[in-house]
Amino acid sequence: MSAQCVAQSLGIELQKMPDWTCCGSTPAHSTDELLAIALPARNLLIAQSAGLDLAVCCASCYGRLGAANIALAQDHRLQESVAEILGQEYKGNVHVRHLLQILYEDVGISEIRDAVTHHLKGLKIACYYGCLLTRPRELSISSDPEDPTIMEEILQTTGAEMIDWPYKTECCGANFSITRPSTVERLVSQILRAAKDSGANCLAVACPLCQINLDLRQQDIQERFNLPVFYFTQVLGLAFGVPRKQLGIGKLMVSPDEVLAGTTTGTPPY
Amino acid sequence: MSKQSTIVRIDQDFWKNLDYDGQLHLAACLQCARCSSGCTVRDETDILPHQINRMAIMGLADEIKSSKAIWLCVSCQTCFSRCPMKVNIPAMIDRIRAMSEDAPGDLRNVRIFNDVMLASVRRFGRAYELLLMAIYKVKSRDLFSDIARLPTMLIKGKFSLLPPKGPGGRAVSRIFEKARRLRK
Repeated sequence: MSAQCVAQSLGIELQKMPDWTCCGSTPAHSTDELLAIALPARNLLIAQSAGLDLAVCCASCYGRLGAANIALAQDHRLQESVAEILGQEYKGNVHVRHLLQILYEDVGISEIRDAVTHHLKGLKIACYYGCLLTRPRELSISSDPEDPTIMEEILQTTGAEMIDWPYKTECCGANFSITRPSTVERLVSQILRAAKDSGANCLAVACPLCQINLDLRQQDIQERFNLPVFYFTQVLGLAFGVPRKQLGIGKLMVSPDEVLAGTTTGTPPY
Repeated sequence: MSKQSTIVRIDQDFWKNLDYDGQLHLAACLQCARCSSGCTVRDETDILPHQINRMAIMGLADEIKSSKAIWLCVSCQTCFSRCPMKVNIPAMIDRIRAMSEDAPGDLRNVRIFNDVMLASVRRFGRAYELLLMAIYKVKSRDLFSDIARLPTMLIKGKFSLLPPKGPGGRAVSRIFEKARRLRK
């Protein structure tokens, strides 16, 4: 919901994909290679029929759609199998793009800066990319998969402080969130501790699975980190003056009220 | 009492069968262990990524298939991204998972979750979180974890009580069936 608000503020027209279906994520690629390509390819075909590129908000969807694109471009036999399964041929011309890329490459930092009306003073943000936005290399949204900075460059326009920290591309283990809580608690603790030790008072993420994993699992960890975890367009939306309710701020498990107390004074940062 | 000897079965073609299309570059591995030093689950796994690769080349198929490592892998792609020889370990692990009968110990939950999640996608076209969690909990016999959190999550709109709207499962169940038929 915050992504739609922010896109609208920046003049991007997002069309909701009709009849989208799930990409199958890790359960699919752990089970059947062909299925793991055919499921996302169904969505690529819908975009192909509409003649549009695909804007994606989730790191795993981005990874699976992108992997399908690459695999289908490389392997002619796979292309035939998938065409047989889906009853339609995919021509490989749909670009799969994460919202971060669209904001950075198409809208541009200066346009985003022009839309900022509220100075997010006091926010010290650790930008977290997780695994699948920069890995594997051929699908990386950044030219430096080990130290991406595109989210920092975008969120810097809000006047918030960007924290330099070492765990921004570590994995949070979200696909084990249900099945192996002990693994997830360890990984989430490491990430949150690194953010806190580096001076952050909140995190910004670009994947709803990372968001819920890092946010929800804080309750299970003994150490009290109390770090709100925003989806990055929630931060942008606040700086654009979009009402909190429309940004889903109230849906966060760790309340951001404290870190937001000094912000949104109604004046832009410059 | 005679000491029982251990007989190790060697499946010489194991790695060739895994890398049947040459996309995994398994034989290119230099054993530099760069993959393992960055592995997300290195602290709790039993075999590290570079060791899985070596064992595959040596034909230790049974040892690999029964390892925890195959199911502990979080598919984070760190090993593959950092490999100087482009050895695609996550894709190798996916292929081993697909040929494995079951996962050891409590890792069977990972497999149960995968199956339940895919069943939901097959039936509804999307994940119906509430139902899939209920089925997962029954099948894994892990009934009570996270239950206390359910009301808050419903209030906060984290997931819906009703099944997902959309094209429904008809379009998707066909994909499942055709994919299975083509695989055979």
